[in-house]
Amino acid sequence: MATNVGNQRIIPLEEGWNDEIKAKAIDKLEALLNGEMKSGSMFGPKEYVQIYTTCYDMCTQRSPYNWSRELYQRHGETIEKYLTTTVLPALRDKTGQGGTILLTELRHRWLNHQIMNKWLKKFFTYLDRYYVKHHSLPTLSQAGLRCFRTKVYDEMKGETTNAILGLINDEREGKIIDKSLIKSVVELYESMGMGSLDAYNSDLEEALLNSTREYYAKKREDWINDSTPDYLIKAEEALTKESKRVDDYLNSASEMKILKVVEEEILERVEMVLLEKESSGCRALLQNDKSEDLQRMFRLFSRLENGLNPMAAIFQNFISSMGDDIVNRRQARLEGGEKDKNDDPKFVKSLISLHEKYLGVVKQDFSGHSLFQKALKDAFVEIVNKNVGQFTNAELMSTFCDRILKSGGEKLSESEVEESLDRIVQLFSYLTDKDMFAEIYRNQLAKRLLTQRSTSDDSEKLMIAKLKMQCGTQFTSKMEGMLSDLAVGSEQRSEFENRMRSVDSKLDFSVQVLTTGFWPTYKSPEVALTPEMSKCMDIFKDWHEQKHQKRKLTWVLSQGNASVRGVFGKKSYDFQVSTLQAIALDAMNNGVTMTFQELATKLNAEESILKPLMHSLSCGKYKVLIKTPPGNKINPTDTFTANPKFTSNMRKLRIPMATLESSLNTKRVEEDRTIAIEAAIVRIMKARKTLQHQQLLSEVLNQLAFFNPNPRDIKKRIEGLIDREYLERSADNAQVYNYLA
Amino acid sequence: MWTSSGGSSASSKTAKRKSSSTAGSAFNEKAAEKMFEEFAEEDDPTVMGMDGIIKLCEHVDLDPFEDKRVLVLLWKLGSKEKPSQITKEEFLTGCYNLHVDTIGKFQSLIPSLDTGFLDEMEFKDFYKFCFQFNRQGTHRTLDKELVVALMKMVLTGRIPDDRLESFCTFVETQEAYTRITLDQWTSFLDFCFAVPDLSQYDESSSAWPVLIDEYVEYMEELQKKK
Repeated sequence: MATNVGNQRIIPLEEGWNDEIKAKAIDKLEALLNGEMKSGSMFGPKEYVQIYTTCYDMCTQRSPYNWSRELYQRHGETIEKYLTTTVLPALRDKTGQGGTILLTELRHRWLNHQIMNKWLKKFFTYLDRYYVKHHSLPTLSQAGLRCFRTKVYDEMKGETTNAILGLINDEREGKIIDKSLIKSVVELYESMGMGSLDAYNSDLEEALLNSTREYYAKKREDWINDSTPDYLIKAEEALTKESKRVDDYLNSASEMKILKVVEEEILERVEMVLLEKESSGCRALLQNDKSEDLQRMFRLFSRLENGLNPMAAIFQNFISSMGDDIVNRRQARLEGGEKDKNDDPKFVKSLISLHEKYLGVVKQDFSGHSLFQKALKDAFVEIVNKNVGQFTNAELMSTFCDRILKSGGEKLSESEVEESLDRIVQLFSYLTDKDMFAEIYRNQLAKRLLTQRSTSDDSEKLMIAKLKMQCGTQFTSKMEGMLSDLAVGSEQRSEFENRMRSVDSKLDFSVQVLTTGFWPTYKSPEVALTPEMSKCMDIFKDWHEQKHQKRKLTWVLSQGNASVRGVFGKKSYDFQVSTLQAIALDAMNNGVTMTFQELATKLNAEESILKPLMHSLSCGKYKVLIKTPPGNKINPTDTFTANPKFTSNMRKLRIPMATLESSLNTKRVEEDRTIAIEAAIVRIMKARKTLQHQQLLSEVLNQLAFFNPNPRDIKKRIEGLIDREYLERSADNAQVYNYLA
Repeated sequence: MWTSSGGSSASSKTAKRKSSSTAGSAFNEKAAEKMFEEFAEEDDPTVMGMDGIIKLCEHVDLDPFEDKRVLVLLWKLGSKEKPSQITKEEFLTGCYNLHVDTIGKFQSLIPSLDTGFLDEMEFKDFYKFCFQFNRQGTHRTLDKELVVALMKMVLTGRIPDDRLESFCTFVETQEAYTRITLDQWTSFLDFCFAVPDLSQYDESSSAWPVLIDEYVEYMEELQKKK
């Protein structure tokens, strides 16, 4: 026995190893793990210290008695031996008896190994501190783990994975399995990656993804004959369960991958089949308002990249065909003999309902997704611009508004009015020829305002505001101008009334001043007035001139209204008539008889005006005058006289007269369009100086929001501008234009 | 080759003419002037109108109504200011540039007036001149019948016969346009050079005037009928 400097006794290798370490630590440890001893008798503190100290001593002894290297080696060998001779055979023994048994054994052995590793590390800690570091070796734990990996894990991983996959499929089929068992084994895989998930991924996850794919491919074959909603219910359930599975016992990184595989197999591969099923596919669900099923369909296909596009296409098609039906029904009615008027509320209401309904479907069933919003929009753009009969849908829609906004039209509450207008404006937004709508709307608005047949000023303003929001200020500026003219008029009315009172006129007279440009152009026939009328008009003219020197007034007699008291024997009536009618009635006063020609001369009226005028008084519902010979047509040879037998139950009567204006000035709209196109071209070319033809075309189309000109029309305007030397063709390239300052 | 002159100030040209004395035949301005006077308008001696031009043609044995070399001559002389005429200034400058001061020299000039001598750029300029010169009064467009006659006279040999023939037929028979603009006129020639094969024509990207779009459409219809 050699002696050290100092009192310490040198421990020889074999003695220290065999007597102390092996006997008291390793053997005991192994016995514990093998279940040969009561687990309660794990190493107590005193025991532990002793073993630790032995190791410590053996590692700190001076050379040649420093046994660090040997101890390190023997640490590794010990583990290796244990694993190879005890653990592995035990595992092999459990194969072929069903997955659960194998996995249970594996878990047991793995837990044991962790205990073993822990204790051995505790004993040999000193090695970790200096020897391992000094020689850049794996730490004791790492070495132990690696050992387990090569000697046990690598040998068993194939069968282990199969066992797990088998259990998973059992669970998929509805059997109960031991989830925590699998979870523990999964933790083994995770640990075997030594800080990464590589082992888990390549040894378990990859195989799992494959078997998942196989499993669901088969399920798909089973389910595919179900109706689409039933299939989707199963699909959704499967996805939910797979998600839960990952949560229960797999690594969370697998969730996305597994779900993707499942989605591919049960959704992506059969998407078109499912969507297009005859009686249960997307179209059928829409047809039958199957909201819940549609929601599920939306949820599931949103998971796929571009999964919603085919659905949106079917949705758009469906709405288009519903819209076509509505249009066709209108056409059938017209062909069946119904009168073709500019008023078809049934049609407009059907379109509105269709729109409302599927707007709701987009919001509720498709979560307002933009693809479906676009599908709805595109479908409606197609529908709304399909005109049948001689009146465009733009006109039908405008008349619909007229009904709502004029007194004596539809009876609606304030909120109903707002709602209807709102919905019409939505439909309006799909119109290509918005400028046409504007023109018609303006004409109808003017008529309402001038005949004081507008239900409410507020409703008019509301509608204009909605249009403004859609299209901008320029679109509604004239309409607003009309309203402001009326506002100014009513302000000044009382002032003028005072003036009238001071002159003591017999007529109750008021004037509305219209700003040219805001209002439609009206004919201003130069009809001979009654002296009282002339007098009133002169008073106004003077008064107005005093207020506004520079403004020129032109009387528009065709648009005026009058109230005429007619006394027929004992009964008297109040007739609401136009100014022209009033003049004619005045001429027929006191029972005179006049020929058409005489009237024409006296009134200084052209035939085109006098004919409808006399027609309204003698051939309409209220025959205030008698025409000789009787009949429905006015001839220049007719004579007229007041009708002594005229009678009516009502006291106050309105006698309408056919309008002298054409209802729609298409020509005006065409002219405006020509101007708009040219203005756009000049504006663009002025800014860009030089531009290629295609680009100019597309910029022009971009700028024109209220109608859609075809390229040839734009070209014609370009040619016109070339001729007038605003533009020239570039000398180098005939496809390029230059701006000429 | 010749390019249309004019545009520089009159006085400098006069000065140039007077001081010229190049080797070979010197330009005799007085002779040229005298020539002009023979053909000038009765009531305006500074201008040679159509009557004078016709007379000049007779002197040099050119048919003023059928022979396109008349137009070439007027173009080369530099008529620019107004259609159907040439001013004295323009005439004298032109004569100077062309080295002609007698009728005889005009006559010997004639062979060189063939349009075959003109390259593409020059021909385009000449072609444009043909339109401008033939305008009536203050009108900026030409009657379509005149256009057809002019085209046949001026373009024959320069563009393929079938193209010329079919386009002229088209212009005559279509009813949408009774008059043709300068832009339509010049574009047609450019179009012939740029699009020799009508099957290559793409209306959606073309900047050609609508007249030409309609011509292509017309040709396609004819093809279908065959």
